[in-house]
Amino acid sequence: MCLDDQILNTYLDGELTEPWKTQVEEHLNYCVACKTRFEQLRSLHAVVSGSRLEDETIAVHQNRVLQFIEKNYMEKRHKVGFLHRDFRVKTPMLLTAAAAFVFVLVGALLLGPGKQADANELIPRVLPASEGSLVQVRATEGLAASQVLESFPLEEILKYLDAKGYEVDLRVKGIQPVGEAMMVPTEESPAAE
Amino acid sequence: MEIKSSENESFRHVYEEVFPVVMRVAYHVTYNMDVSEDICQEAFIRFYEKNIDFRSVDEAKYWLIRVTKNLAINVMKRKSREQAMVEKIKKAPKVPMRNGEDALIDSETRTLVREAVEKLPEKLKAVLVLKEYADLNYKQIAGILRISESNVKVRVHRARKIMESMLDREEMHVS
Repeated sequence: MCLDDQILNTYLDGELTEPWKTQVEEHLNYCVACKTRFEQLRSLHAVVSGSRLEDETIAVHQNRVLQFIEKNYMEKRHKVGFLHRDFRVKTPMLLTAAAAFVFVLVGALLLGPGKQADANELIPRVLPASEGSLVQVRATEGLAASQVLESFPLEEILKYLDAKGYEVDLRVKGIQPVGEAMMVPTEESPAAE
Repeated sequence: MEIKSSENESFRHVYEEVFPVVMRVAYHVTYNMDVSEDICQEAFIRFYEKNIDFRSVDEAKYWLIRVTKNLAINVMKRKSREQAMVEKIKKAPKVPMRNGEDALIDSETRTLVREAVEKLPEKLKAVLVLKEYADLNYKQIAGILRISESNVKVRVHRARKIMESMLDREEMHVS
């Protein structure tokens, strides 16, 4: 029995396993018809496979695409990676710095009352008059006060005043509602008693 | 050698080794150099961006070939819907031929082969391109296309049968 094209193609591709491989080889040794057919298939494979894109033609595109990826991806990735690494090194340093800051702040409050403490007060302008009955502070009043206040969220200011034993009356003035649900306070007037 | 696709050294190593194969796959599916370059660029960008770990260069190569093949076939599907683009592809300048002494196939035969490959149904074309132009064995092709090895065997055979019937054997010249 002669060999069909599929077996010959499989043999041609080197994919035929034993014992069929040896059987095919033996058959091809004496069967002229199958040998001829096999040569045709081999020729077809050679022509199709040989009509491939040449390496020299590919090289130009290979360089161009690599340059594009290097410029637009690898260099950018490198920068991000560098920042990422930098940040990781800095994290404990940030913590140390934060701890040191807390230490200095607490130390100043505990050990150095008076002028030194004033330097760390959240609302320095309030303090001299805090013995009085009512003090009004406007965040927008005076450059120094507004800068100090603006650098703290409202909750923190309230918490601070609460911790100091002040009773706080908070009023919001001059508001233009953006939506019905959202209100943006533009001016805060914490009053200490 | 383990490959981390986002590591520059790994990337360059894989790129150097795999780009020609991937370019051939893209080209023999689309037969357009510019489109093929775009497809390869997209495949390697995905490769770099996805940050995948591969056990070997070959694993990375199979991944890239699969992505490239899918991109190329999608391009062809899109193109076949846009007739104008098909015309553009057909009018694309011919790839310059090698003039070296090892040039086995003349340009006329190449054109015939190209026309025959272009006419193959998608499933057979994918298998044939991977077999003839990416130099992969049945097992590797099966893995890339996620079909069985015996299915690959059958498709290779069918594709060659069609190729043979489309190519006028008298016009094929092998020196």
